[in-house]
Amino acid sequence: MSTTFTAAGRLARNPHVGYAVFGAALMTLPVLAGSGLMMTSTLMTVGFTLIYAIVAMGLNLLLGYSGLISLGTAGFMGLGAYLAAYVQDDLGLGFWVAVLAALVIPTVIGILVGVVSLRVRSIYLAIATLTISEILLKTFEQAEWFTHGTAGKQSHYPVILGVQADRALVFGIIVVALVLVMMLTHNIVHGQLGRALHAMRASEVAAQAMGVNVLTYKLFAFAVATLYAGLAGALYLFFLKSSYPSTWNLFLSLNVVAMVVVGGLRSIYGTVVGAFVIFAVPELVLKRLPVIGDVAGLPYIFSGVLIIVVIMFFPQGLRGVWDVGRRMASTRRPVSAPVDAARDEVAAR
Amino acid sequence: MTDVLQVENLSISFGGLKALDDLSFTVSDHEIFGLIGPNGAGKTTVFNCVTQFYRPDTGTVWFAPGVDRLVRAGHAGTDRIDLVGQPVHRVIRYGLVRTFQNVEIIPELTVLDNVLIGGHVDFRSSMIAQMLRLPRARAEEAQYREKAREALRFLSIEHLADQLAGGQPYGVRKRLEMARTLMAEPRLIILDEPAAGLNESETEDLADTIRRIRDTFGCSVLLVEHDMGLVMDVCDQICAISFGKFLASGTPVEIQRDVRVHEAYLGERDDA
Repeated sequence: MSTTFTAAGRLARNPHVGYAVFGAALMTLPVLAGSGLMMTSTLMTVGFTLIYAIVAMGLNLLLGYSGLISLGTAGFMGLGAYLAAYVQDDLGLGFWVAVLAALVIPTVIGILVGVVSLRVRSIYLAIATLTISEILLKTFEQAEWFTHGTAGKQSHYPVILGVQADRALVFGIIVVALVLVMMLTHNIVHGQLGRALHAMRASEVAAQAMGVNVLTYKLFAFAVATLYAGLAGALYLFFLKSSYPSTWNLFLSLNVVAMVVVGGLRSIYGTVVGAFVIFAVPELVLKRLPVIGDVAGLPYIFSGVLIIVVIMFFPQGLRGVWDVGRRMASTRRPVSAPVDAARDEVAAR
Repeated sequence: MTDVLQVENLSISFGGLKALDDLSFTVSDHEIFGLIGPNGAGKTTVFNCVTQFYRPDTGTVWFAPGVDRLVRAGHAGTDRIDLVGQPVHRVIRYGLVRTFQNVEIIPELTVLDNVLIGGHVDFRSSMIAQMLRLPRARAEEAQYREKAREALRFLSIEHLADQLAGGQPYGVRKRLEMARTLMAEPRLIILDEPAAGLNESETEDLADTIRRIRDTFGCSVLLVEHDMGLVMDVCDQICAISFGKFLASGTPVEIQRDVRVHEAYLGERDDA
């Protein structure tokens, strides 16, 4: 085996290269839209899908890895969106400060909320986080100096490094953000941090005996999830150029939970697939079907049915379907194949 | 300094029930120490009081892991510390590590990753360094992976390192839990019923493994076990308790001859 071959093989197996290639593939979409091969509305739908994938990645870290539930996603995402608009348009501090504010402030608030709420578990944590989200939602409706209330906050495409952004450029920024989030999540879950989260989910008692400070790691997971939500909120604002309080309600939080469950707990690509199935499929496919396309609340019915089907038949999510497919393909290989596959997997961490 | 663990006058009550009543015992360096007693005697409660899962009402738990170890854990200028009141997650830093009666592993992780959790407190890289996968963090991860493989090799399950822990049979899971304790460079390993659910030949292997761990790592072992064959075979010293109270202590031979221990297990003799 020549050196160049192994080097190339190692590069191909490196998951970070995979994420970068995935991002590069997505970057071709604005080009397609620009040349008229793809509808602009489709590009918008894909852009929002990727934004939701970022939020869902944070929730997967909580729900999938750490075993913590949060129904507060929408509130923190909305906070990120309004902060981005307020800092960019009202304060006139520009794109970078706006992004920084949308990252830092929700995370700090998230940590403070976490210190109080992470002492309760399961359904109580769900209620506590839901309460926070509803408080934020009411704030969005009332604090008119900040959000313009129910009339909605209007914004515009940012100026980045002296360049006036357009839809395609903001789409590119979303893709870059998603790829970075995927890489960061990968690093978190494949090292000591991820193992501590796993240990905590499996048994808090055993995790403590292994020296894991459970509250610290719960806060860590919660902080990363709010960081991603704040980022996604800012991207949402820059992409849509407006924000209304009604967007940031419980249904959004529940949809993000659906994305994680349907895509697959503890799966990075699965989360992106989940976001696509829950958000993009109703928009791009179902709404265009005759008769059923006109049913009100169709996306909710769709994701509801999908959750039931997935939990009953594919508890691993759509990623489980992928695994089954791979196993069926690998049974035809020689006996040593699974062992080699496992080795490759570890080598590729 | 020859005693790694000194439990003095330990008492704890749950409601009106006195689970432990003024219990004292001492585990010496390099000793395999057995704690025995009939069901409900309070053996696991002792473990939980030592490892701080329960806060005892009264009593002290002196732990002397060696000055170096204490300095590393941030307690310079002393040769022993009282564990009572320490947070549970700090106890392992002093070199006190335990296994669980009902084997606590993470089924979704590989065998190797499960073992690596035992080295959790030794990781020096910051969260940021790990999130960004800086060279320092990667080097540290590689170093501990190798250490974890050695621990698996020691327990003869290295060939299973990359398989999922959830798919492993019970015996392997038990070994996996023991390999995990070795990651912490233990001074004292607490084993909660390690022979439960093992067959005869597996139990014999276990006795051998416990001795090998003691000899290779120079640590002490505190063992709670119902399998009297194992206890009598492997232990240097034994302490028997009943209803939370001290009954007797001594070598296996002494314990086997002790009439109080017989009464506790079999009831009082009618003709006495």
